Amino acid sequence: MMGRLLTGFCEIKWGARGLILLYVSVVSGIILALQYDFANPFYSAVAQEALIPFGSFWRSLHFYSSQLFFLFCLVHLLAVIINGSIFKMAPLKWLVVLATLPLAVLLLFTGYVLRGDSTGESAGMIAEQIALAIPLAGDMVNNFLFAISAEGMKRVYANHLAGLAVLWLICAWDHLRRYRVMLADHGLLLVITVVLSVFLLAPMEVLSPGVLHIGGPWFFLGLQELLRVIDPFWAGVVLPLFLFVLLALVRLEGRVGRIIASLVVVMLVFYAWATFLALGR
Amino acid sequence: MAGDNTDKGRRLFLQRGWFWLKAVSFAAISYPLMVFLGFKVPRKREIVQVNRQLLAGEVYLGQDFVLFQGESRAWALSRICTHLGCRLNYSEEQKKLVCPCHQSHFDLEGRRLAGPARRDLEAFEVEVSGNDADKIYMVRI
Repeated sequence: MMGRLLTGFCEIKWGARGLILLYVSVVSGIILALQYDFANPFYSAVAQEALIPFGSFWRSLHFYSSQLFFLFCLVHLLAVIINGSIFKMAPLKWLVVLATLPLAVLLLFTGYVLRGDSTGESAGMIAEQIALAIPLAGDMVNNFLFAISAEGMKRVYANHLAGLAVLWLICAWDHLRRYRVMLADHGLLLVITVVLSVFLLAPMEVLSPGVLHIGGPWFFLGLQELLRVIDPFWAGVVLPLFLFVLLALVRLEGRVGRIIASLVVVMLVFYAWATFLALGR
Repeated sequence: MAGDNTDKGRRLFLQRGWFWLKAVSFAAISYPLMVFLGFKVPRKREIVQVNRQLLAGEVYLGQDFVLFQGESRAWALSRICTHLGCRLNYSEEQKKLVCPCHQSHFDLEGRRLAGPARRDLEAFEVEVSGNDADKIYMVRI
């Protein structure tokens, strides 16, 4: 029974669905960018939400398609680990494809930061401090990715729009060029995404001076909780890097592979627990 | 036979030369890139004017600073948390500055009280002009 369920789960074309959502995310992102001003991020995002006709719809469409794209990527990753497809890949190719995962996290994260509300602003500042905590290369990493306190949203915007997106495409290119997906084959998914965007607003938090607790983006909550007690370098750099290394090695076969897979599960459960704690605050 | 070896040696020399040429070119391009990206345009010092009649014990929250009016003096502190840079908010109830991200607490003089922050808050210079009925605060941030 369990085996049949897993086979059914793995047979679903999660990757193809993720790619369709990526198309929607890219198109809606370009449309949003035409009305976005990185010099006044919060004002600009609020104007899109409340002032510009259909701005709210395009924001929501970009938000939900990007979130769903990321979730589908995660499920796709899980499916290929379960069905063993990753064992057919050459180690270097696997590493390159896997690099799309942290890049996707960064793309999602910079999107949160760009809206410039209390969550976005704080998340950006925290990310900058985490980048700066990297020994020797911290300043360089921060200069490449964030530099928010010195330059505002300029570099975050450039990275969200081009830098990270191009890097993601380079890493995913060899993987994606083998597959063709047609929008027409995924009508239901497109309809669900559009309907979701019509009826559910993308989050936006007003800058309120009386607020004494704010929660970051859902995938950042666990890290936010860890940062209360652990040094930014260990919580924000070493732990995610360790998870990446484990995922890179998960394709090893035999006992070592099983131990590594168990470690990945332990780390994810630990992170989920930290997220749960953060949600309780 | 000797000619073959010379050809092989020449090819190896050219291959290595080509590799090092690429490496040096990469380094030559990387250096100006790093320097360019690493330069931070000095932050423009700003003087923010606050036209508020604050009574003793009252607080004004600016975007980057918090201004306090005491019995005999006014002072301002940065709103940027010294832990990870989140913007601090003022708790009227607790008479403290609180970081909404990781719950660091600071007293009204900017001294760290609790939480993961390790340093006190930066203090800003404040000039007060005008009279009691029409005070103007100039905060240099």
